[in-house]
Amino acid sequence: MTCEELVAALSAYIDGELDEETRAAAEEHLATCRKCPIALRTTEATIALYRSALRGGVGAERRARLLERIRAGGGA
Amino acid sequence: MGHTDAELDGEAVAALFDAWADRIWRLAVGMLGDEAEAEDVVQEVFLKALTRGGGFEGRSSAGTWLYRVAHNACLDRLRKRRRHATEALDGEAPFPRVLVDWSARADRLLLDGEARAELDAAVAELPETLRAAFLLRDVEELSTAEAAAALGITPSALKVRLHRARLLLRERLSTYFLERSAT
Repeated sequence: MTCEELVAALSAYIDGELDEETRAAAEEHLATCRKCPIALRTTEATIALYRSALRGGVGAERRARLLERIRAGGGA
Repeated sequence: MGHTDAELDGEAVAALFDAWADRIWRLAVGMLGDEAEAEDVVQEVFLKALTRGGGFEGRSSAGTWLYRVAHNACLDRLRKRRRHATEALDGEAPFPRVLVDWSARADRLLLDGEARAELDAAVAELPETLRAAFLLRDVEELSTAEAAAALGITPSALKVRLHRARLLLRERLSTYFLERSAT
């Protein structure tokens, strides 16, 4: 597998969607390439960073305000 | 828009709200980058869900319906703003060029206000089609099939968009961290 092929398959690799043969080829490439493991780790870190950063919810104050508006049928 | 039932059961409304509001809110904030507009989207989605004949009642896939309505409400607002057209939709995913390994520092970066602002700016600058795919799959953690259904696209189209979004965000964050580490 080449670097280009690895990058094209990167998301599928992260999501566990590669077939066994392609996954084995990807892992073989990752074991010998200096750059692609960095691309993999920083892509995984990007996902993890956003997942943590954007976990916020509506919050109590906004929840109360929204429920009031929704119960009023949007007229508030 | 129609009218909600005047006798809306307060507890039922609160239960539906608590089950879904955080998720709809995150999608709307992520898509719009504007809390006031996101709040309006949440209101709009729930009013639609609670309106008789709105299409929500009796659906087996409530989440898909809510996400789809929320996504469409966000797109309506984005269209009105006339920004972030979707011309980049068919662009290629960027080949990784900046290869500095900041992954071990990722947790600490969350505490940093400047890095957080960069995260928000990076996702806001994605084409909206890619942004929606990324938010639903990687933040909301929907399955490929669920996210595709919410966006009304095929699973393979969803995967293509997700891949591009991830690589675009990775490249931008890597560039940012490289520049920061050089200063």
